[in-house]
Amino acid sequence: MFRLNFKIALRNLWKNKGYTLINVGGLAIGLASCMVLLLYVAYEWGYDRQSKNFADTYVVYQHQPSSTGTMSWAWTPGVLAPDLAASVPGAVTASHSSYPEAQLLTYHQNFFKKPGVYSDPQFLKMMDYKFLKGNPDRALREVNSIVLTETMAKNLFGDEDPINKVIKFNNKEELKVDGVIADIPKNSSIIFDYLMPWSFWETQLPFIKASGWGNNFCLTLLQLQKGQDYSKANELASQVLRKHQNGATGYYSLHKLSKWHLYNEYQNGKPVGGKIDQVRIFFLLAFCILLIACVNFMNLSTARSEKRAKEVGVRKAIGSTRASLMGQFMLESLLLSILGMMVAFVLIEMSLPYFNGLLHTELLIEYSDWKFWAVFGGLTLVTGCIAGSYPAFYLSSFEPLQVLKGFKMTGSTSLSVRQVLVVFQFVFAACLIICTAVIYQQLNYIKGKSIGYNKNNLIEIPLQGPMRANEQKMKLLKDQLLKSGAVTDVTFFSRSISEGGHNTFGVSWQGKSPKEEVLFNYRSTGYDFPKTMGSGMISGRDFSPEYTDSTNVIVNETAVKTMGLKNPVGSVIEFWDKPVKIIGVMKDFVMENPYSQTAPMIIYNKMEDTEVVLARLNARANVSSSIEKIKEVTEKLNPGFPVDTKFVDDSFEEKFQNEKLLGIIANWFGGFAIFISCLGLLGLALFMAEQRKKEISIRKVLGASNMNILTLLNKDFIKLVVIADLIAFPIAYVIVNKWLSAYSFRVSISVLPFAIALCLSLIIAILTVSVQSVKVAKANPVDALKYE
Amino acid sequence: MIKLQNIEKYYAAKGLKSYILRHVSTTINQGEFVSIMGPSGAGKSTLLNILGMLEEPTYGTYEFMGEDVTSLNERKRIELYRNHIGFVFQAYHLIDEMTVAENIEAPLLYKKIGSAERRSRVADMLDRFNIVGKKDLFPNQLSGGQQQLVGIARALAAQPSIILADEPTGNLQSAQALQIMDLFKKLNEEENITVIQVTHSEVNAGYGSRILHLLDGVIKEDVNLSESLKP
Repeated sequence: MFRLNFKIALRNLWKNKGYTLINVGGLAIGLASCMVLLLYVAYEWGYDRQSKNFADTYVVYQHQPSSTGTMSWAWTPGVLAPDLAASVPGAVTASHSSYPEAQLLTYHQNFFKKPGVYSDPQFLKMMDYKFLKGNPDRALREVNSIVLTETMAKNLFGDEDPINKVIKFNNKEELKVDGVIADIPKNSSIIFDYLMPWSFWETQLPFIKASGWGNNFCLTLLQLQKGQDYSKANELASQVLRKHQNGATGYYSLHKLSKWHLYNEYQNGKPVGGKIDQVRIFFLLAFCILLIACVNFMNLSTARSEKRAKEVGVRKAIGSTRASLMGQFMLESLLLSILGMMVAFVLIEMSLPYFNGLLHTELLIEYSDWKFWAVFGGLTLVTGCIAGSYPAFYLSSFEPLQVLKGFKMTGSTSLSVRQVLVVFQFVFAACLIICTAVIYQQLNYIKGKSIGYNKNNLIEIPLQGPMRANEQKMKLLKDQLLKSGAVTDVTFFSRSISEGGHNTFGVSWQGKSPKEEVLFNYRSTGYDFPKTMGSGMISGRDFSPEYTDSTNVIVNETAVKTMGLKNPVGSVIEFWDKPVKIIGVMKDFVMENPYSQTAPMIIYNKMEDTEVVLARLNARANVSSSIEKIKEVTEKLNPGFPVDTKFVDDSFEEKFQNEKLLGIIANWFGGFAIFISCLGLLGLALFMAEQRKKEISIRKVLGASNMNILTLLNKDFIKLVVIADLIAFPIAYVIVNKWLSAYSFRVSISVLPFAIALCLSLIIAILTVSVQSVKVAKANPVDALKYE
Repeated sequence: MIKLQNIEKYYAAKGLKSYILRHVSTTINQGEFVSIMGPSGAGKSTLLNILGMLEEPTYGTYEFMGEDVTSLNERKRIELYRNHIGFVFQAYHLIDEMTVAENIEAPLLYKKIGSAERRSRVADMLDRFNIVGKKDLFPNQLSGGQQQLVGIARALAAQPSIILADEPTGNLQSAQALQIMDLFKKLNEEENITVIQVTHSEVNAGYGSRILHLLDGVIKEDVNLSESLKP
């Protein structure tokens, strides 16, 4: 029985190649979309779960209540880790480590500037990185040692054995290679190419050793014993700061390492989710697209019911039960979904490199992983069952008598089910079109919003090695750069212009209540900062070599507002317990986050504290030749260090990664959803055409023109699509509104996205349906009528 | 074998009953060859459908092999289809996706007959109807008469005790029709299979042993040919 059914199913598929193609194609696209999205979700979900003890490892967060609400960050003092390890019962170990920073490593002719982390042996143990070479127990114990990742070792040493070889760090210190670990998976929060001991950092930055509880500069990880009560440890951790600092208002909390990536946002000291929302959206999207593909399948297979009805009737008359017929139809849909899966497999493999490039991920199919096969097989089965259920149920319900009497499609009910299915598909498609449009609108809005300075042609060069803190050399560099004609303005800045960090509570002014804590960004600049940035001074003057500006500062507008100063220029405020005079007010500009309000900022003039060169390229010169000149000049002054120039608008662009990603995914998968829905519509059109063949023939005999017929046929579908759009609009409005509400700067929802959705869905629907209806309208009426 | 008592069939439309069959009572014995005749709309096909349990009468009782089958659940009905009733249709109704051999085999599969037995019976049928050479062809590759032969072969494969045929020769040319009727007659006489056919043609009816004349849902005449032929 099974074999025969199987054979017949195959013959059926082969006989109706067009249908099979549409069906398998729809299912394949649906399944492939679903799988790619699921792979992405699994990838995000797998963040920081590579170590053995990830479930018991915690990141320490610090929370600082202030007048504008509690602020939270994962920066902690260096003294915290040893204290926690000793004072929290059930703690296995605790580690402190720096955040990754790009530095220069050199071995003979090979040099690379890659991010590295200063850490301790506890860190190695906790994260259990796999050692390929060297002894894990001895790594990071000597001051001048280093542990490389596999790729870094290969880059530096090629095929040589790196163990015990000495490499140069920033062209100065020598570090001995102690071990080689496997590359860090891309879905880790802590990414680096090499590890150096904490003790080495202390020799680099002497303040670290002396710094107490007031300085937050490192990441602290804590590992508890298995099954140890988290809340008790958390409670203890929250009291640590108060114990060591009298009157401290801040406190620590423990954040699960495995939830660091997805639940990283805090509001007022409480975790409020984060990227998990996006992951959830993708997860939902995955199944919606699959559902659409299933609906499509149902539509197409029931549309062919007239052809299958006879078989059902005859089979029933020769003794088939309904169950066995249902089994037969289920078998067919399973067969199709397996075929679809095979095609999907190819599609996934073909599209993954593209998506990986787009999303900056490392998605891949793990063929050796049983979980992958389980999901793969499970999806195929579920798809087959869902897709096959309705057709099996519907087709097997035909009575043999209907067949004997000559089959007439009476099924107005069945048609309405199909119509509901198509409406459902188009509701989903329209929602996706609207969401995509709004995402792009928002992206454009934020990008087009004034950021307070001109980021075009602005480049950034980090100060490296002997260049840093050497005022003489910096001045020379500035002069030579200007003289080369490649740039028009040059200044120095204490952080990358598009980065956050460097903030302090240490600003006070007259009239500030002692309880009020306001976080100020602080930066140090060289001369010509406002000029280089292309943002003017509102009042007062810029730092200038003509004055001594060591106790003068510039503030931004927000700072003036926050402090409530009527005449800011000339006022004296306190900065890190020293009186300073405000000599100028700068326009607000966006640094870290284009989505949030600008924070108050205080700018002082101290060349030793600056870390990057900011330069405005000469607009009249060729960009690449300018860059070449800059490199030449910089390298001559600072030999041995590769120059990496970075365009500010590029790094600014990176801030929109999340929104871009959402836009891209909504665009792609929205496109797929629409495409599959169109296949469904095509199916419905085929069905309608088959059903109304006689009616149309009679109309034609009575004198209807092709155009009349076309209008008649298309009218019904247009109605369906309009209904779908009307249902989709409020749903999309709610979704979009909710999404936008997370942004403090956002576009107002306009009619445009809705109009786009309406037009697009109508055009697509009419085109799809016309493919079929033109054929019917042009058919010779005799062909249909003579069979009656 | 078949006993109909006061069978009525009507459709109620807007309070008016439109009768298809009225007061139909008759008995058909094992081994009879009955032809149901009458003008269009007389209720011939409906009567045959009721006999084949494809339709239920509105009123009356129907006994099949001593069992009341007036309203039968689906499982029992399918059981009867598998073991006792073979259908032959005017439009043949072969399954297009199956070859000739598979079409003949299909009812045996539902009857859960072992594969060896199945093969021998299919071979037997092909042999008997002289269509061995066509066993791997699909229905649309055969002529109408050949398709009907396959249809009858399929009906016979399950070894039914009764064959119900709704205008089996309606779509055939006369030569082919005669061949089919000969076949029915032979089956009836040699294997004692009860045959009930609906037909328009006097010639076809002449092959049977008994004719039921229907007019407007009522049996007007019940002619026993074998008796009337006797002097």
